[in-house]
Amino acid sequence: MQASFLTPTGHSDIFISAAIWTGLAALLLTLLLGLQIIAMRIGLRRRRRGEARALARWRPVLNAAIVGEIPDTLPPLRHGERLPFLRLWAHLQGSLRGEANEALNEVARRAGIDVYARTLLARGARPARLLAALVLGHLHDRPSWPLLMRMAEVPDDTLSLTALWALVRVDPQAAADYMVPLFIQREDWALSLAAGILQQAGEPAGAALARHLPLLDATRLPRGLRIAEALHVTLPAGLLASALRSEAMPVVIAALRGVRTPETIADVRALLQHEDWQVRVQAARALGRVGERSDAERLVALLGDAQWWVRYRAAQALLELPALSRADLDALRASLTDRFAADMLSQAMAESEAG
Amino acid sequence: MNTDSLLVAFVTWFVLAFFVALNGGYLLLNLFSLRALYRKGQEAFIGELPRAYSGLEPPVSILVPAYNEEATIAASIRSMLQLTYAEFEIVVINDGSKDGTLDVLKREFALLPFPEAYRRQIATKEVRQIYRSTRYPNVRVIDKVNGGKADSLNAGINASRYPLFCGVDADSVLQRDSLAKVTEPFLRDPTVVATGGTVRVANGCEISGGFLTRVGLPRSPLALFQVVEYLRAFLFGRLGWSALNGMLIISGAFGIFRKDAVVLAGGYRPDTIGEDMELVVRMHRTLREKRQPYRIEFVPDPVCWTEAPEDLATLKNQRVRWQRGLAESLNANWGLMFSRNGGIPGWVAFPFMLFFEWLGPVIELGGYIFMFYAFLTGLVSWEAFGAFLFVALGLGILLSASGLMLEEMSFHLYPRGKQLLLLGLMVILENLGYRQLNTWWRLIGLWRWLVQKEASWGAMKRKGVGYDGQAQAAPPVAPGEPGEPPSGRPPGKAP
Repeated sequence: MQASFLTPTGHSDIFISAAIWTGLAALLLTLLLGLQIIAMRIGLRRRRRGEARALARWRPVLNAAIVGEIPDTLPPLRHGERLPFLRLWAHLQGSLRGEANEALNEVARRAGIDVYARTLLARGARPARLLAALVLGHLHDRPSWPLLMRMAEVPDDTLSLTALWALVRVDPQAAADYMVPLFIQREDWALSLAAGILQQAGEPAGAALARHLPLLDATRLPRGLRIAEALHVTLPAGLLASALRSEAMPVVIAALRGVRTPETIADVRALLQHEDWQVRVQAARALGRVGERSDAERLVALLGDAQWWVRYRAAQALLELPALSRADLDALRASLTDRFAADMLSQAMAESEAG
Repeated sequence: MNTDSLLVAFVTWFVLAFFVALNGGYLLLNLFSLRALYRKGQEAFIGELPRAYSGLEPPVSILVPAYNEEATIAASIRSMLQLTYAEFEIVVINDGSKDGTLDVLKREFALLPFPEAYRRQIATKEVRQIYRSTRYPNVRVIDKVNGGKADSLNAGINASRYPLFCGVDADSVLQRDSLAKVTEPFLRDPTVVATGGTVRVANGCEISGGFLTRVGLPRSPLALFQVVEYLRAFLFGRLGWSALNGMLIISGAFGIFRKDAVVLAGGYRPDTIGEDMELVVRMHRTLREKRQPYRIEFVPDPVCWTEAPEDLATLKNQRVRWQRGLAESLNANWGLMFSRNGGIPGWVAFPFMLFFEWLGPVIELGGYIFMFYAFLTGLVSWEAFGAFLFVALGLGILLSASGLMLEEMSFHLYPRGKQLLLLGLMVILENLGYRQLNTWWRLIGLWRWLVQKEASWGAMKRKGVGYDGQAQAAPPVAPGEPGEPPSGRPPGKAP
């Protein structure tokens, strides 16, 4: 005897019901998706038409402003034109430098964009707030400082980093004082990103960093030193020397990367024999930057290191040392009995020649 | 109710439950993708703004393994040289090609032997010579004894100078900003160890100077099916897993890795077909074992375009290989499944792949055959049989349609109404035979994996979407070698 719900004559059993309802749900959802796709396509086309109209009106105005011919009377900025205008304006701001930026700012202020952007920043949806922060940053808009500060503290990384970028544009000095400790603390933010924003602040960021570094403990100091390196900040010799003598390897490595002047050369030389190969790598690099002709012997010793990167950096450092001519290097290579050392020096020399 | 009836009832319910669970799982992934794409859409205008390089972007070594690629290699490298990125080098690895690949490279890039102290971090076949371009300082060529794609990539890793490397198929067509897009997660999050981007079907598109100039749809129905398949696989398969940090696949056609993490995991395994997936699964396993925080991310932007097979034999070969690759990848990394620190990859993604992708073809095809047989022999009613087909096909169509919707809400690369309509039609048609055929091929792949047939390099029968135009003479295929895909990596299979 067969199960009734599966017999050829069986009907309205659980299996069939479940299957049919599932299938119907899938069908209904597919239809809804289809309608959604069509609605999105229609919406997209309408939006693009609107954008094209707005750009046709405003592009000539902005282009004229860029070449220093701001019209005396601007056309009214219609409600539907605001977002396409902002996007075009932000795009042009990102592509241009100098007087053109100021001319675009003047057009934006006269069109009331600063007020509109502040409203968006305060009450807009997420994409509108992002755009508003960008615009207000370009405008160096001081009244939006408190709103930007609030936005900089939200957990959403994209929002907060965009707000930080805008703060730098508004007031580099105040932004640097605020951001340096924040960027050192927020290890979840990539160093390159943090340094990229601080770079925009220019000199104030370097000064704020130099003030802040001596206050850091061994856990935070490596990140602070790496940011200093990215910003090309010359560190005080005392701070650097004390970091180079630190017990914490990350601090020593970060400090070696920051060596730019010969004041700490004795500490650097002492680290060439360090047991940690990553320290030796950075010590070799540092010596290449600040070493003397007499350091050649020390670097030649590193050419025989067990670690490839130590040998490579030592060879490159040798080439950077002052007063070592090509003939000296050829003679040095010929004198090497260690094949690994000779190969590495050959590679570094060939790379140097190839540019 | 006798034993036979009970068995029939059990199998029927099991098959139905499998289809519902499989599609339900993918629909859940779809929701994660939807959220990710929505947020990405909100930030899209930032990505469109002019990019200023701060000089702090991590430099990238692009690794291009090449085997018998004399017809396209020079154009590929030239297009890669035009990528917009702050700092990158190109390392071509000639894997003992039997044609004139090396001669073409020497001639086109003015190569000269370079005295490089080759660093052997990962064991590879012998490297015969390293060359450096005198015309482009950032181009080097490694000439080595044939060892396969994975071995070539390992040699490339050994020779690479930069902390990130990007594995690229020699015949991939890249977007000009692909490197910039796919390295973004590395800039944002210091724990990111690997990223992959969306690969799209290049058939029907116009390509000039090695870059895509106009997006179009292919005429071949087989290629059209694959367009829908790729949308589904990338836009909600991988993106959904990425949102959960459980992505187990990064396409070999284009993926960026942190070199130290790959070396820590032991590099690519030369004895597998699916070396790209195997590496990603192993990275998950290794980093989880070491309790190292990490992320493997997917960037949904289309960054790479690849030619899809337009004939059944080549397509079958491709799918068989992909299934074997999947089986090898999972088999080599059992330790990840339900491991103590396995997290989402070990407790969700791996079992999902195992049950639905690895074992899936057996149950799927078995289900179809069983239901058909049961219907013919009167074991199940026509209503039950019809209801089963209604669910299986209905859910399949729903999934494909959701892939198309994600494309429309994010990139809308197919601007014409006709194109959208055609894709909509394909969404339905691909479920009426094509997907079942795919399941059959996957079953063959599973079988071949079980009997362990040998793996080697090969060449795909190409119509030639390659460079400067659409139709191009197919490059020579070495005699006696099987047709193989341009990439050793599946687009990730949705049912």
